[in-house]
Amino acid sequence: MMLLVLGLSFTAFTALSLAMEKHQQELHGKAAASPVRRTQWRVLGWLLLTVAFALCVVDHGWAMGPVLWLGALTLGGIVLAFALYPYRPKWIAPLAVALPVIGLVVALV
Amino acid sequence: MDRSPATASPRLSTFFANPRWGVLSRSLAAIFGGYALASMTTVFCALALPGARGQAVLTGMLLAILVAACAALWAFATRSALRAWVGILAPTLLMAGISRLLGAWA
Amino acid sequence: MKNGFRQSMAWLHTWTGLLVGWLLLLIFMAGTASYYREEISRWMRPELPRSTVSTDQAAQRAADYLLANASQAESWFVTLPQPRNPAMQMFWRLPAELADPAKGRRGAFGDATLDPNTGTELKARETRGGDFFYRLHFDLHYIPVLWARYLVGFCAMFMLVAIITGVITHKKIFKDFFTFRKDKGLRSWLDFHNVSAVMALPYHAMITYTGIVTLMIMYLPWGVNVAYGTDQDAFYSEAFGGLPEVTAPAEGKAAPLPLRQLLDSARTHWHGTEVAGFSVANPGAANAVIDIRQRDGKRLSIDTPALRYDMVTGALLQETPPSGGATATRGVLYGLHLARFADWGVRALFFLSGLTGCLMVASGVVLWAVKERPKHAKSGRTGFGLRLVDALNIGAVAGLPIAFAAYFWGNRLLPLGLAERSNAEANVFFYAWGASLLAAFIWPKRMMWAWQLYIGAAAFALIPLVNALTTHAHLGVTLLNGDWALAGFDLSMIAFGAMLALCGWRMQRWTPPLTAAEKKKRAAAAAATKAPADAVEAEASA
Repeated sequence: MMLLVLGLSFTAFTALSLAMEKHQQELHGKAAASPVRRTQWRVLGWLLLTVAFALCVVDHGWAMGPVLWLGALTLGGIVLAFALYPYRPKWIAPLAVALPVIGLVVALV
Repeated sequence: MDRSPATASPRLSTFFANPRWGVLSRSLAAIFGGYALASMTTVFCALALPGARGQAVLTGMLLAILVAACAALWAFATRSALRAWVGILAPTLLMAGISRLLGAWA
Repeated sequence: MKNGFRQSMAWLHTWTGLLVGWLLLLIFMAGTASYYREEISRWMRPELPRSTVSTDQAAQRAADYLLANASQAESWFVTLPQPRNPAMQMFWRLPAELADPAKGRRGAFGDATLDPNTGTELKARETRGGDFFYRLHFDLHYIPVLWARYLVGFCAMFMLVAIITGVITHKKIFKDFFTFRKDKGLRSWLDFHNVSAVMALPYHAMITYTGIVTLMIMYLPWGVNVAYGTDQDAFYSEAFGGLPEVTAPAEGKAAPLPLRQLLDSARTHWHGTEVAGFSVANPGAANAVIDIRQRDGKRLSIDTPALRYDMVTGALLQETPPSGGATATRGVLYGLHLARFADWGVRALFFLSGLTGCLMVASGVVLWAVKERPKHAKSGRTGFGLRLVDALNIGAVAGLPIAFAAYFWGNRLLPLGLAERSNAEANVFFYAWGASLLAAFIWPKRMMWAWQLYIGAAAFALIPLVNALTTHAHLGVTLLNGDWALAGFDLSMIAFGAMLALCGWRMQRWTPPLTAAEKKKRAAAAAATKAPADAVEAEASA
């Protein structure tokens, strides 16, 4: 479950960063997404954040759940901002897809 | 640099016109005034909040920490060092007065 | 101030951060280490085997020991072995007539730490283990505990103000949420400071506020005085959740029920939750009562529920009463700070957040120096303030890791039979830190940064080797046994060493950024060499 939460948090933050023009320029330059597309990323990002939050609360209750959620966000955000965007931007998209999938598989097994 | 004084008082006034005094004054207001405000908050809450004594005392402490932080922000955000002191001491004295009426230090 | 609100908050942020930044770094590093104090203590007492006995067996051994060594005591207090802490600690209170007057107040207490596998006193090297870091982060060291706590509280208030002013002054907090521009000098340091602050902002605010809350009664006793006068005990019993103190003296003698039976009653009452420990009042008496405490992990609050049973009849006498709102709030805040409830996953995230806090403080103090330095470039020499900050920065940011590593080296290398061994280990920490501070003050330059970071890297990375050379609890054994706490410790040491080495390498290889004039020259030179090369290429492909 924790792996799934971590994966979803990472992907959520990736989506939210893609909703920002500055990071679109960074990753895609001229092929940066349109404002409409960016709004879609924003919606997806918030949706995934909510799902991650719900999973945390369902699994750990209203007290510990939010604590775990915030911690997962911290990890996801740090990896994205300090490691991936500056040093390995090409890994962002694949990881954003793979991590929640791996998390889901591990959670179901 | 012209060091020749015309008279003694202009030199004194330029000495105190240095903005460092303002910073010192605000810092003292933030630290000591802030602590006084926080302390008075705990006294006031202990006496004025409804409900069980023990709970009122604890609530006062939890709030007082935040009050102290706010006092520090006020001391440096407000227009002058004088306003910094007034803004911190006035509520302190007000709470002291009400606490006295409620039985403190009888 | 004459400046706008944001600017005055920026000014306040700089000074509340800088003036206490170095002490805060010590507090933050020691506090972050404390999340794993049990694991550190286990690593520092490699002689102590993992607990193989069940909780009930351990409890029985504790009771047997206490019956043999503290039968006259008024009360016993036992902490049973936990998954993260295999030792069993107990203390007891002697009646007044048996107290040792030579020891003052402490003469009325006895204590023992047992190996639950044998029920005898622990035979391991004398060390404070991870508890040294725990105490360090609010009691500091070498100064009276009271002064230390006021000083730490003062720093914590500065930190709280720094956090609030930081948020106020960070205009682009959402726009720059993911922004870290590397290799851009001042810009990069600012981005790093901002992101490390914002990504763990709820944590930083929580840990600072709750830290002050843990000692708030000491800092702000005035409300207690005014509401309770001289009857301070009434405050504690009214304000803090928990079972009332047993005041009735011992009456008669009776054999208590088997301990396992009493513990099982508690477990059944709690639907299976395990027991953390128990206290006995008037052991051996006909009116002996046992308070059984629940193990951490079920709730955020520091106040874990307890059940009081009659030891002779087994009847449930009392349960922890429900707490008032403020008591429960304070309990949760206290609990969040200590994070005793955290399982391995949440604990790892807390540790990561703590490390992020260390990076936030460190990047803050470095950022100030980076920003300040160009102002001194014109005069050619560094002013007193900047030199002081440079020295403190090196001594704290690079020197403290050396001290932490040295503490672990001391644990492995100091003679086992050394008198006052725990104190000696603590002294090693401070000797190492003192040496790096001294070196930093003598030569507060870039190369000193690199050397100290490299020394820290080596000191950490070699710990698993020192471990292997001095004990049988090294990676070769612990990885095979699946002892993840001990193996994790050694592996973390290597990881920290690698990180410090990377930092040292970057420090060593740094070159000053090009001025605008230099950039122009290089661009012109590049264009000049490119034109003939293009011509050659065009000819070759024609």
